[in-house]
Amino acid sequence: MLFNLDKKITEAIDDAASKSLWLYHINAGSCNGCDIEIVAALTPRYDAERLGCKLTGSPRQADIVLVSGPVTLQSRDRLIRTLAQVPEPYCLVTVGSCPCSGNVFKGSYAICGPVDKYRHVDVSVAGCTPKPEAIMAGIAQAAAILKEKRRGMHE
Amino acid sequence: MAKLPYLGTALTNLFRKPVTIAFPAGEAPAAQPAYRGRIAFDASKCINCGMCERVCAPSCMTRVAKPLEGGEPGDQEITFTFDMTSCTFCGMCADFCAKKAITLTEDYMMTGIIAEDFLVTGKVIKKAPPKPKFTPEQLAAMKAAAEAKKKAAEAAKAAAQQA
Repeated sequence: MLFNLDKKITEAIDDAASKSLWLYHINAGSCNGCDIEIVAALTPRYDAERLGCKLTGSPRQADIVLVSGPVTLQSRDRLIRTLAQVPEPYCLVTVGSCPCSGNVFKGSYAICGPVDKYRHVDVSVAGCTPKPEAIMAGIAQAAAILKEKRRGMHE
Repeated sequence: MAKLPYLGTALTNLFRKPVTIAFPAGEAPAAQPAYRGRIAFDASKCINCGMCERVCAPSCMTRVAKPLEGGEPGDQEITFTFDMTSCTFCGMCADFCAKKAITLTEDYMMTGIIAEDFLVTGKVIKKAPPKPKFTPEQLAAMKAAAEAKKKAAEAAKAAAQQA
């Protein structure tokens, strides 16, 4: 095409998309501690919305998926089903110790974690609970990974 | 001013600094004092009592012992590994550590891509206890010899009294 116009348009779309990250939050049996901190990261004091983040209600609109909780028996199938609905490319971020290891619940009959048994985890944020700044750092790291993923899809 | 009740607040807000922390752009703010963050392990203070492992609710630490290379037989190299993705940051390990080898730092920025980003490790060298001077057989033989000597002395004493 003339002057590589199609490539330039794709680049411009990618650039715009990297500044508009829609978050989707899945609670896989969390105690609500990490959920509160995710919401706190969106408040004016920490303001993840500066990075273009917006909490969305549908997995089909998500760019970054935040998972909290140790993946309970009841939430396992729902987690897998919800993650299957997220369009590629997306970034999976685990918030807190629970989705990484099971934390104090590990070894329980009702825990099917960690999350990386089911899906590739891009970024983990450790802490019980992590501070909103740490969640922000995780989101920023995920944004960089997502940009690479998007570039890789076009090549 | 009764018609414009918020004018004062609105005007002062124009000249106030934003409350938003500049973090991903600037430096991360420090945590409050006594915040319980990433574990720091000082292996030189550790005496390998294993108390931290006992009190840890999520059992986030592992202890692996292997023979020390280039050491005397029986010497062990013990590797402590604290997994920060498994920790609840309750601080029990630090409270129970008799030698204060474990401390919880104020570093809360724990994000990573691979599991190794979250591990805190330390190596402790455990020396084998000193060897005893005599073996049990040698000790038994020495005891028997001492008793025989005592008996002989008593027999000689009795013979001298009779004579």
